[in-house]
Parts: sequence; structure tokens; C-alpha cells
Amino acid sequence: MSFPITLAFVPQGHFTQPYLALPCLKAWLQEAGFADVEQRDLSIEAYDHFLSPDYLRRAKERVRERLPLNAFEGRKSLPLGELRAFRSAAESEVSADAVIADVEGAKAIMRGEDFYDVDRYVPAVRTLYHGLRLVSAAHYPSELTPHNFTMGYANDRSEEVLAATLDEDQNPFIEFYREKVLPGLLARKPRLFGLSVVYGSQLIPALTLGRMVKEALPDCHVTAGGGFLAYIGEKLMGATGVEECLDSMIFHEGEAPMGELAEALRAWDEAGQADLSAIGSLTWFKHTDVGCETVANAPAHPVALNAAPPPDFDGLPFDLYFAPEVVLPYDINRGCYYGECSFCTLPTVIGPGYRTRSAETIASHLTDLRDRHGVRHFSFITDCMPPGMIRDLPEALIEAQSGIPAEERMKWWCDARIEPRAYTKEGAKRLHESGCRKLLFGFESATPRLLKLMRKAQSPRSVSEVARNCSEAGISVTLYAMVGFPSETAEEARATLDFIREHKDVVREVSLQTFHIDEVALTYRDPEQFNIKILDGAGTDLQLYHDYLSEQGMTQQEAAEMFDEMMNALRADLPIFSGDNIYYFMQKSHYFLHLARGTTPDEFVAQCQQRTEAHQAREAAGLLRANASRTSATLPFSHVAAANTLAHPLARAARPDFLTGRFVADAQAVAEEQLEPLPPQECVLVYDEVGHEFVELSRDGLRVLEAIERAGNVDNLLQSLNSTNPGARTRLTEYITQLHRKGLITSFQPATAVPSSFTEPHELTSL
Amino acid sequence: MDEKRKDQEQAEAPTQEQSTSKASEETLDVEALDLTIETVEDRINPSETNVFDK
Ligand code: SF4
Repeated sequence: MSFPITLAFVPQGHFTQPYLALPCLKAWLQEAGFADVEQRDLSIEAYDHFLSPDYLRRAKERVRERLPLNAFEGRKSLPLGELRAFRSAAESEVSADAVIADVEGAKAIMRGEDFYDVDRYVPAVRTLYHGLRLVSAAHYPSELTPHNFTMGYANDRSEEVLAATLDEDQNPFIEFYREKVLPGLLARKPRLFGLSVVYGSQLIPALTLGRMVKEALPDCHVTAGGGFLAYIGEKLMGATGVEECLDSMIFHEGEAPMGELAEALRAWDEAGQADLSAIGSLTWFKHTDVGCETVANAPAHPVALNAAPPPDFDGLPFDLYFAPEVVLPYDINRGCYYGECSFCTLPTVIGPGYRTRSAETIASHLTDLRDRHGVRHFSFITDCMPPGMIRDLPEALIEAQSGIPAEERMKWWCDARIEPRAYTKEGAKRLHESGCRKLLFGFESATPRLLKLMRKAQSPRSVSEVARNCSEAGISVTLYAMVGFPSETAEEARATLDFIREHKDVVREVSLQTFHIDEVALTYRDPEQFNIKILDGAGTDLQLYHDYLSEQGMTQQEAAEMFDEMMNALRADLPIFSGDNIYYFMQKSHYFLHLARGTTPDEFVAQCQQRTEAHQAREAAGLLRANASRTSATLPFSHVAAANTLAHPLARAARPDFLTGRFVADAQAVAEEQLEPLPPQECVLVYDEVGHEFVELSRDGLRVLEAIERAGNVDNLLQSLNSTNPGARTRLTEYITQLHRKGLITSFQPATAVPSSFTEPHELTSL
Repeated sequence: MDEKRKDQEQAEAPTQEQSTSKASEETLDVEALDLTIETVEDRINPSETNVFDK
């Protein structure tokens, strides 16, 4: 009897590569005798669909209807609550047409050889970002970015979450599912439908789809699982109304429970009855005559990882991801061999116990995946690589690829813990030889007092040593750092920053995060140890993250401000963080792909540096003319002032946060009170359609651009100036330099019939 | 207020003669111009840094 199963990774996850959960489940189910397992990455399908000319054209019309720009005219001031609407309306107005025209090209750049040309890469990434802003504006106040999806509904209140699943005006996924997903499901009629929910950003999209599938296919059992649900699943399954979206939920590792659930449902189909109560780690809704009861089964045993099949990626749309080569995730182990850090809850997500695959199994799985899918690059999904593996895996990988030239061997990156005895000079060299191109270490802080409180069992000196050894071997080093751990002072945070700066020759990237307290971490369970008082949110039945008061050190607000201070310093000091090179850091695996292709970290950093310097060196010199590929609009308020206010830590706190989508209590009121409304200020927002950047000018600025246009080029304009005042000339020349740096003026080649005086570049600065 | 304009692509540079005469159509009083220019920097928001998660 056929038993079709469909697994879906729901939006929103990052768009560069597939996630691991579904391929692991598919492989397991197939091995358990379920041959018909379909897997769909609806996140990348949605990004691809939204970022298409047709969709964006409709989005543009919707923005005009929902957020008309002229609604802001004549206003005496603009309060915080309206800034995002204003910004969205203004940006859509000037950028929509260019984004619509270039979006297919931008995706093609991401997916092809042009990805490696930075001058094509950066405008293409911006085009995708601005396309998503258009999609967001069409569903205002919802916001879809490459790293998040939030709505005007709080993620920590079940009533709001469920209401969001029905709000088609703000929830872009309802239409997407109806048009692009349901027809296929109706034809296929899966008997079991599994939703993978790794992030908070997926919660509303998952329940939205669950509801729609349950309505369309009443016989299909809808279950959900994944990292985020390991935290809030229990609360969610206790909330009224969730039974309309789900039939059950699987906690922690999904393979064994999913297999047993499929067995039970198949038995149901064959024998007319099924018992779900024996399935480990399953919580399910038992429907009785009197209503619906939530039943939580006992936990399942963790799977023996080394005996588990390799993930099966068949059916995933490799050609849709925004990367020229797909980097496949692979689980070398599960759980953390250390598992002591007081802030960390990662080991909670996957369930109890630490398990690993053997080095030989890993090497054989990777070569199989390479041959089967024609891929060469992997990201190892691990909380961190254990020392034994750091020793054994390189040998196994080198052995498995003997005879293959070094540049054609598989390349990989992964998370790691500072283990000075493993990352010796020799150890790092072997890792590089085996294809390791990037390691991300949990550094967190340079202050021994805090490291002790965090129970990191590592010293700044060992971080220094490990980073240096890896970097010398050619492995790019990224540090995870944290700001705002309870009791941390501003000076201690600055010491972390100083440490990074002192190591900028060996540390290429920093993933800086503000400290959160979630309900699973030791900081929540034993707050006295950390001298903090945990605050509870009122009416938040799905609350996971908590605000807190600390008796020592920075407040949460001060930590948010310190984040900005540190980030600004990193932007100034780390070449990959400078200017628009930051996009490489922000798109998972994009920088790694350059490393995998043979560029060394030193070479890449030098390229970034040169690019930033070349940008800064642009002057009002040479043959220059106005970039005519631009669209502009006159605005009643400053777009830049609106964006800056929205980026203020107080305003950020009033938006739903990354993992939970929750609104911090009273944050909106506090921000409204402390952040001044914008005064009217006429300005011109220009969209540079070549570089895909927004630039704000005064009306006079636009007149200068027009004057250059009429004059034909910058030289002509300056020569035609009546003013004899050298100060005025200098002023205009400096302005033209700025326009050049912002891309609104570009250099050009003279046309063939141009008089000889134009063939020589004219140094304007000497006028 | 929200007048929107799309400028035409220039095919090639005009000759000096044509252009200087055009330039004089409107004279810029440079001393009096408001020459501010600003962009919004591509920022990393704390809510967007989690790019290396699993
Ligand atoms: S922070 Fe890293 S080393 Fe520490 S417990 Fe978590 S995963 Fe393990």
C-alpha cells in the first residue's frame, strides 16, 4: 500500500544552501521502508518566487495602495511609529522599477560565475535585499529579510501567532502556499506531512501551512519538529487553537519518532486503528467526544548516529539557492562533548547525549554525497568539533581522496571550541590539507572573570594561540563574541574589542551577539549565581526569552548601545567588515566559497581592503559624467534620518527580535518617549540603478546632477561656472567627489568624435 | 511633493560645444547651494547577525 510522505522546510531560513533536517529524515524513513518521501525547501522556493519580476510588480502596486507616499505630505512631524512605513513607501517609490528590471539578473549572478566578481556581486546582493524590502512593504508591517521574518504579531503569544496565520493582508505565505504548494499536495495526497521549524522566524509560516494542509487534506497527519520547537513546543501544544494547525509535534531528534509515527499511521490505514501513545518524544492531540486532549509521550532513545544513514538530498532544488555552488550540510556529531557553558542551550535542541560518527564513516559519506550530487563543499553541522575528531578526520579525508589534486578535493567549514592541544601548528596544517578552510570558535570574551562565569574553561591566551596556528595554516578564523553577559562592564566589553583588534591579522570575521536569557539556560534556572533578576512578560504564554535586571555591569539597554560601539569599531578595523564587503560576512558560505576556490584569507582580505580604499580614493577627477540610470523622488522628511532613528537601540527593541519575534515589554512606549519625532525636511531620495544604492540629496544636489548632465560632463560644468570665487569651486569639487564616491557620477570613455581636449583627463582639483 | 523622475540613459558624451552652451541655460550659484549628501550604511543589526547558525 502506498504511503506518501511530504516533508517541508518552511520559510524563513537563509537562502544560500539547504538545511539538514529533512535530508536526515528522508534517509531514515527510506531505510525504514517508506520509499515515497518527498522533501521541499519552501523557504528557498518562496524567496525565488517573491524575488521575481511578476511578483515584485504586484508588490509595487500593493505598496502604492497600502502605503501611498503622498500620505506623508504636509505632516508637521513624523513619530517613531510611522517611520518604517515612510521609509518603506519612499524606498519602494524610487527602487521598485530598477529592482524589478534587475532581479532575475541578480539571481543569475548569485548562481553563476559572476558571483566571484565583487563588482557584480555587491549590486546583485543589494538588489535582492531591496526586492525583499518591496515584498515587506507590500505586507507592512511584516518584514522579510535574508535573515528574518517578523510580523506585527508577537511570537510569544499563541493568540497572536494563530491570528497571524489567517491574516492574508500581512502574511505573504498564505497566497504563496495556496498558489505554489497546495496544488501539488492535493495531487500527491501525502498521508503524513512534516514541518521543520528550526527558527522562531518559521513559527507563523509553519502553522499557516499546517492549517491550510489540514483544511485541504483532512486525512493527512500534520506533524512538526525542529530546534525552535524544542524550546517552546510544550507550551505551544498546550495552547488553545493549535490543534487546527497540527496533529502532533516531535521533540528533539526527529528520525526515530517520525519513523514510528509513519508506521503507526500505516497500520491505521491497514488495520483501522493506531496507537500513538507508544511513540517516543511525540506530543499529540487526542480527539475524544468531549474535546481535544494534549498527550505527551515519554522521550525516545537517541539514535545511534554512526549507524544512521547519510543525509539524502534528492529532490531539493540545488539550482535555486543563491550561491554558485551548493555547500551541503552534514552532521559529523550531535550534542556537545563539552556541554558546560552556562549561557548555552545548543545541546538542548538535539536532545540528550553526545554521539558522533566515526572519521571513516564521515569520509565515506562525504565522498558518496560528492559523487551523487556533484558537490565539493560541506558545512559540518556540529555544536563543536571534538579533539579526537580534529586528529582523526583529516587523516580519513586525505586517505579517501588520495590521488585527487589538492585543489579538486572537498572543502569544508565548521564550528569549533578552543582546544589548544588539538589546534597545534601541525594539527591546523593537517586540517587545512584535508580541506578545512574556515573555523568558527566560541571566544565570547577576553575577560577571564567572565569566562569563568560562563564556564568556558578557556583563556584569552589559548584563543590567541589557536587563532594564530589556524591562520598560519591558511584556515580563516571567525570568532563568536558576546556583549552584555550579566555583570559585564563597558570596560570589559571594550577589552573584548581590543583583543579582536590586536588579532586582526589572524581573525577575519566576528559574529557578535547580544546576550539573551532563554528558559533552558543555567542563567535562567539559577539567576542568583549571576546576580540577576529575571523579568516575566505578562500574557506571554509562549515566552522563551526573558528580560532581566542585573545588579552589576551594563543594563540590557547599555549592552545594546555597546553592541553598536563594538560593531562600528569592527567595521572600521576588519577588512571583511568594511564598506559593502560586509555582504560576504552576512551571506552564509559566500566568503567560504571564495576560500574553497583557492583564494587565501590574506588574499581575500587584501581584495576587500583595496576595494574600500579605491572607493575612498575616488575624486572629482578624470572624465566624469552624471550616472543617468537613477530614479529620484522628492520627500517631505529625510529618509536617512528615518533610517537612523529606526536603527537606534531603543527603536530596535521595539521591533520583534530575531529568535522569538517578541516585542520587549513597553519598548515601543519608551522609544516613542525618548526618540524625537522627525521634523519636516524636504529632500531628494535617489536610487542608483547601477550600484543599487539609495542616496539622499538636497534639491540643490539634484540640480548639480542635472547641471552636469546638461553640460555633458563635470569638466564642462566647472568651466562654465560664472563664479570666480575659488572657495565656491572647491566646494563644488568636493561635492562632486562625494557624488562620485556614492556612485551618482561615473567615469566614462570618450566617444570617438570627441575633440582632442577631451581625450586627456582633466584634473579638476587643479582648477 | 513626491514627484518621481527617471532620467534617460546618455548614449555617449556630447561634444564640448554643445554642452557648454547647454550648461549656461541654468547657472548654479555655488555659494548658495545646499550640498548635503547622505547614505544609509548597510548595518548589521543584532537581530541579523545570526548568519552562522545551523
Ligand atoms: S558554547 Fe559551544 S562548547 Fe559551550 S556548551 Fe555550547 S556548544 Fe558546547
